[in-house]
Amino acid sequence: MPLSNSWGIKMNSPAKPFVSQELTWTPFFSLLKREVQRFLKVAVQTLLAPMINSGLYLLIFGLSLGSRIQISDGTSYLSFLIPGLIMMGCLNNAFSNSSSSVVGSKYGGELEDYKAAPLSSQQIIWAISLGGLFRGLLVGLVTFIVGEAFLYFQNGEFLSIQHPVLLVFFLTVGGLSFAKLGLSAAFWAKSFDHLAAFGTFILMPLIYLGGVFYSLEHLSPFWQTLTQFNPLFYFINGVRYSILGASDVNVWMAFGISLIMLLLFHGFALFSLKGGSFNRW
Amino acid sequence: MIPLKVSNLVKKYGDLEAVKNVSFEIQSGEIFGLLGPNGAGKTSIISSITTIEKPTSGSIELFGGRVERENKAAKAILGVVPQELVNHGFFSAFEVLEFHSGYYGIRSNKKHIEFLLNKLGLWEHRDKKIKQMSGGMKRRLLIAKALVHQPKLLLLDEPTAGVDIELRASLWDFVRELRDSGTTILLTTHYLEEAEELCDRVGVINHGKLIKIGPTKQLIKELTSRQVAIYLKNKLPPCQHINLIKSNAQEKSMLFEISNQTGIGELLAQLKFPMEDIIDIQIQEGRLEDAFVKLLGDKNELTS
Repeated sequence: MPLSNSWGIKMNSPAKPFVSQELTWTPFFSLLKREVQRFLKVAVQTLLAPMINSGLYLLIFGLSLGSRIQISDGTSYLSFLIPGLIMMGCLNNAFSNSSSSVVGSKYGGELEDYKAAPLSSQQIIWAISLGGLFRGLLVGLVTFIVGEAFLYFQNGEFLSIQHPVLLVFFLTVGGLSFAKLGLSAAFWAKSFDHLAAFGTFILMPLIYLGGVFYSLEHLSPFWQTLTQFNPLFYFINGVRYSILGASDVNVWMAFGISLIMLLLFHGFALFSLKGGSFNRW
Repeated sequence: MIPLKVSNLVKKYGDLEAVKNVSFEIQSGEIFGLLGPNGAGKTSIISSITTIEKPTSGSIELFGGRVERENKAAKAILGVVPQELVNHGFFSAFEVLEFHSGYYGIRSNKKHIEFLLNKLGLWEHRDKKIKQMSGGMKRRLLIAKALVHQPKLLLLDEPTAGVDIELRASLWDFVRELRDSGTTILLTTHYLEEAEELCDRVGVINHGKLIKIGPTKQLIKELTSRQVAIYLKNKLPPCQHINLIKSNAQEKSMLFEISNQTGIGELLAQLKFPMEDIIDIQIQEGRLEDAFVKLLGDKNELTS
């Protein structure tokens, strides 16, 4: 069928008269919906892969090496490790969700659509970072379930959550912060390699050295001091306190620093949207 | 109200001044063409209107509202078809159009999306992912995207670049239909045939400067001349007329070039050929391309 035939109809849309537009919330929720659907469409990469990842950590560190590591208050190493892995999964996935969404949209040219559309910078940031947060929370939940299974298998008991409200707070603030950081990095990135370098040289060292796998008491005084300058240390120990009821830092200090991080990373994101590039690669 | 008013627009990229103090207005319900060779600054102007680029100086008004990054009302009445194709990773054509409607504040737009998909011959491809689509389909999807919110002003940046002849013709029909149903259209192109065919008015831009603006027909008339071929029955008479550009003894024809102000009668009166000797007179009006060449001075520049 030649095209011209199907175009022969008069340009009279059934949607006339002009559709009323709701420019306050609809653009924001549409972008949020897109962000969530994006990672759900590739759930194998975005949810299953992190699950296998944390399963491997639990197997190697928790079960095989963990029996030789002592935590002073008598907690098993596996219980100590689970909160750290939950937060690591949450932060990592929040970061990679927003960064790969932005970078992917740059690659396809879709990012320019956001700029031309009636979406404010704040709306773009919140929609993309909430998308990242949802993925972070899902991965955190999945890690928690896998961890519980390991714990039950090894010790015949489940880990109960001591402070659920605080747990939600730390996961939410951490996930949002890292989603915003990922968004900022992606707006400045000039290529996929650029973004990967940020992950390898900055993000990974901060996460691994942030106390996921060890307690401060296992470190020499020099590393103890250095670790206290790592903002991730507070996110991770906040979650550890929420679940176990004890951690390396005062929980209210962790609370305060987490909020400061969120503000700081939101500022980064806002700055990146104004100064970074929407242009396609 | 004037759909689009560009005043003293300047856009610099470092030392390069891509747009040099350009001002123009588009009237309601017209198709306005921005013509120019590649790299003339057309896309920089479009990107400034859509806020993808920030102008170095100058202002842009859409229906009286100033175009700025955070001015949602101005953006909501504007539809844009970018020059380059867009990919949408994992989403289908229908999903892309739904999201796009949402970005423009329309929560449920199923009817209009269905209408557009049908109209653009994409209905049977609605569930295809964008990466599975051909170039022509992607181009039509871009147009559908730009129309989901029924914009009052539509920007088409080189809409037929890399499009086959059949699709081009149907796109032209569609653009005319859009105009007739009340949409104002700004299109950029370097295909002069397209501009001549479609545009009510054109602005010619070169090296970032707007060098000419006016109704297409008037521009052609002003800047081109007519060619008059006269075919004779008998052998060609001697002729020294200043407008004679070629004579062909074999065909027994003579070709004259006269300005649009000179009448045919005037020419014939000057030539004094006997009426019964004339078999045929063929007149060829000037084309936009000729006007363009005259404006830019160098034909190579527009095709390069």
